[in-house]
Amino acid sequence: MTHTPLIVGLDVDGAGSHPAAATVAGLSPADLVGAARLARTVRQAENAGVTFATFADALLPAVAGSPASARLDAVTRAAFVARTTTAIGLVPQVATTYPEPFHVAAQLASLDIAATGRGGWLAATTTTPETASAYGRDPVPDLGREARDVVQVVRDLWDSWEDDAVIRDVATGRYVDRDRLHHVDFVGEAFSVKGPLITPRPPQGQLVVLAASGEVAPSARDERLVDVALVGGDDVASARTAARGATGAGPDGAALAVVDLEVVLDADGRTAATRLRELDAATPAGARTGWGGGPLRYSGDAAGLAGLLAELAASGDVAGVRLLPALLDADLPALVSDVLPALRAARLTAAPRAGATLRDTLGLPRPANRYDTRPRAGGRHTLPTTATA
Amino acid sequence: MPAPTSPTTPPHAPDAPITRPRAQVHFGVFFQGVNHTTIWSDPESGSQTDFASFERVVRTAERGLFDAFFLGEGLRLRETRGRIHDLDVVGRPDTITQLAALAAITDRIGLVATQNTTYHDPADLARRLASLDVLSGGRAAWNVVTTDNAWTGENFRRGGYLDHADRYERAAAVLAVARGVWDAFGDGPGEVARVTVPAADLRTPRDLVLDVTTPRSPQGHPVIFQAGDSPQGRDFAAAHADVIFSRHGAVLADALEFAADVRRRVVAAGRPEDDVKIFPGTAIVVGDTPAEAEEKARWVRRAQVTPATALSIVGNVWGEDLSSYDPDGPLPAHDPVVAELGGERGSATTGARTHEIARQWRALAEAEHLSIRELVIRNAGERGFTGTPGAVADELTRWVRTGAVDGFNLSPWIVPSGLDDVVEKVVPALQERGAYPEAYEGTTLREHLGLRAPLTRRALVGAP
Repeated sequence: MTHTPLIVGLDVDGAGSHPAAATVAGLSPADLVGAARLARTVRQAENAGVTFATFADALLPAVAGSPASARLDAVTRAAFVARTTTAIGLVPQVATTYPEPFHVAAQLASLDIAATGRGGWLAATTTTPETASAYGRDPVPDLGREARDVVQVVRDLWDSWEDDAVIRDVATGRYVDRDRLHHVDFVGEAFSVKGPLITPRPPQGQLVVLAASGEVAPSARDERLVDVALVGGDDVASARTAARGATGAGPDGAALAVVDLEVVLDADGRTAATRLRELDAATPAGARTGWGGGPLRYSGDAAGLAGLLAELAASGDVAGVRLLPALLDADLPALVSDVLPALRAARLTAAPRAGATLRDTLGLPRPANRYDTRPRAGGRHTLPTTATA
Repeated sequence: MPAPTSPTTPPHAPDAPITRPRAQVHFGVFFQGVNHTTIWSDPESGSQTDFASFERVVRTAERGLFDAFFLGEGLRLRETRGRIHDLDVVGRPDTITQLAALAAITDRIGLVATQNTTYHDPADLARRLASLDVLSGGRAAWNVVTTDNAWTGENFRRGGYLDHADRYERAAAVLAVARGVWDAFGDGPGEVARVTVPAADLRTPRDLVLDVTTPRSPQGHPVIFQAGDSPQGRDFAAAHADVIFSRHGAVLADALEFAADVRRRVVAAGRPEDDVKIFPGTAIVVGDTPAEAEEKARWVRRAQVTPATALSIVGNVWGEDLSSYDPDGPLPAHDPVVAELGGERGSATTGARTHEIARQWRALAEAEHLSIRELVIRNAGERGFTGTPGAVADELTRWVRTGAVDGFNLSPWIVPSGLDDVVEKVVPALQERGAYPEAYEGTTLREHLGLRAPLTRRALVGAP
């Protein structure tokens, strides 16, 4: 029997996904965010065959007033490991709410170029009103609509250079063919962008866009804005239902659904239940991000997690999981030594191939350019062949 | 190695006294990206987009013990009379993203990101620069540039919101946010500090209130570069910058005058006169003999000014499309059809008076019997240092030891091989003269440049 391998994403932010992770890890801010730890964590994930790493982020501290909240910009982190890895997808979280979409488009395109096509974008809304103050702005009233406009214009900007815009035509002295560069002339609800982008089209054409299901309002055009929907659930059945609801052939549906899965494993001689109690007890007051509530959760031994992942793989409704380890230093070693090898041995997962793009790995086709109106063999354009130069 | 032969770079200001007999030459490299001085038509020219080209240049520079690798930023593609300019290299990466990727494959070289204060949000900008600084182990710098250009603003949420007169006030306020962010984090366990800047200073709709997530790097703050040449720009540099990326890198007398002006302004700002380092942008062309170097320099100038580029530059002054003219023929017989430069958007010369330029050009072309292309090449003027490696090394050393400059920011005319001659020939010649380090001594950019502690931290650390 053939089947599609289960996608295994992993969030590699900071000390872990539990709001008490930084407190419990006891690292200094400099060690927590330092280059050595970042490169080691992502390499560990790549060596274990993880499909993509996400880099959770927010402008403001996760715990107001706590130095345990040290965190660097996600695109910068992802770019830093672009050349220390060869196969794993690199998916920084970048907010759709306040940052300039033109900069977001250029930063992510540049990440994709540096990572030779392994870039993705976890597009996320920002709900904390204090973030508006950090930009000296008023809060954005409609987060979903703003997210729609930002994802839309970023996608337009990624296509604003056609793949073959650089022609280097010595005879005429032209470096680019200006007919293959496009003003996007985007006009949204709250802003407009002229274009084209300052950066050429990224290797994947369009980076893979991930978003929590329902965060990005549907496109005003007939266009799929989100490639991979992140869904949660209280149990496997509800996660499967959420996955079915988030995917579909139309513009509102994502191509793939990935289940967010919080993970606490038996580790360091202590049971997962004990570890989770300690983490919950250590959670600082004022934490902006919670633990539990949205994602599916697994707490237990490695064999149980492998069984859960096998169950999800067999369901057919979900394309994969994104693992959110409670405490990276405890849960990642257990994942890479006990859980992921078992799944690979059972051929339920497959490590991404070195040199493959993230689209290749996820089975997503490289999109045609929305501004390319030239005829192509087998394409959707029907101009007479005499028009082909 | 043969003995240095006579220089072909003319010894401008031959009487300039040596005031710093032990000063060392420093180098940075400016990976330009977007103007006609980067030659793309030669077979040796590689991709301007692929990461491998950047990697080759930065590795060459690090092998040559350069202080810094420098990326520019332009936030809208240049246009000529409403159409995208198509003759020059164009299309470059986001600077901080690219430098972060380069940080992982280098150990010592500084990484300088040009970032505009008008169209970057200070909260994001300060955090991204701090992130690069931490991940690179204290090797980041910010080249602070301003604009009031509403045309560039069409790519951003707020459009052309900033008046010309306010651009440096906004820049100072953005820098204040950045310094606040970089100073905020405690050195040990403690509270996360808050940065607050009034809306009026930043020209934002509301006051900025920001809690910080980024700890300090080993160099404390990213190094501040500044490149504006106007009196306002020079005062901004004197008050805030660590390094000036100047335009005065071709004629020694001019560089000395600039240095004296900068030092006056630095002292007036209450700082020690050597607190701001001067790195002019320049280029180096070397050959085994003076004649070979001159021949190569001639080739470079011609390759930089293609026939189409010559017609475009003259057409920009005339305000019309002159692409049907003969580049090897004379200037147009009629006067420019526009009064002010402005057809080419995104260049630094917008606003100059065209009839005055045309009159000067015509006089020069008639006096020296120059075609359009020859005139444009002639106008490019002196671009830097040409000669044997020894002669160039002598001249670079003299520039540094007269106090005109602290180092040079080199613009290779070809990518990715354009730095090879400097690193393989000029650096060893400088080292033979005791005018160039034999190894990196520190690990941070601040140490490479010999800078004091960040301006806002001197009282805290007791620096001079």
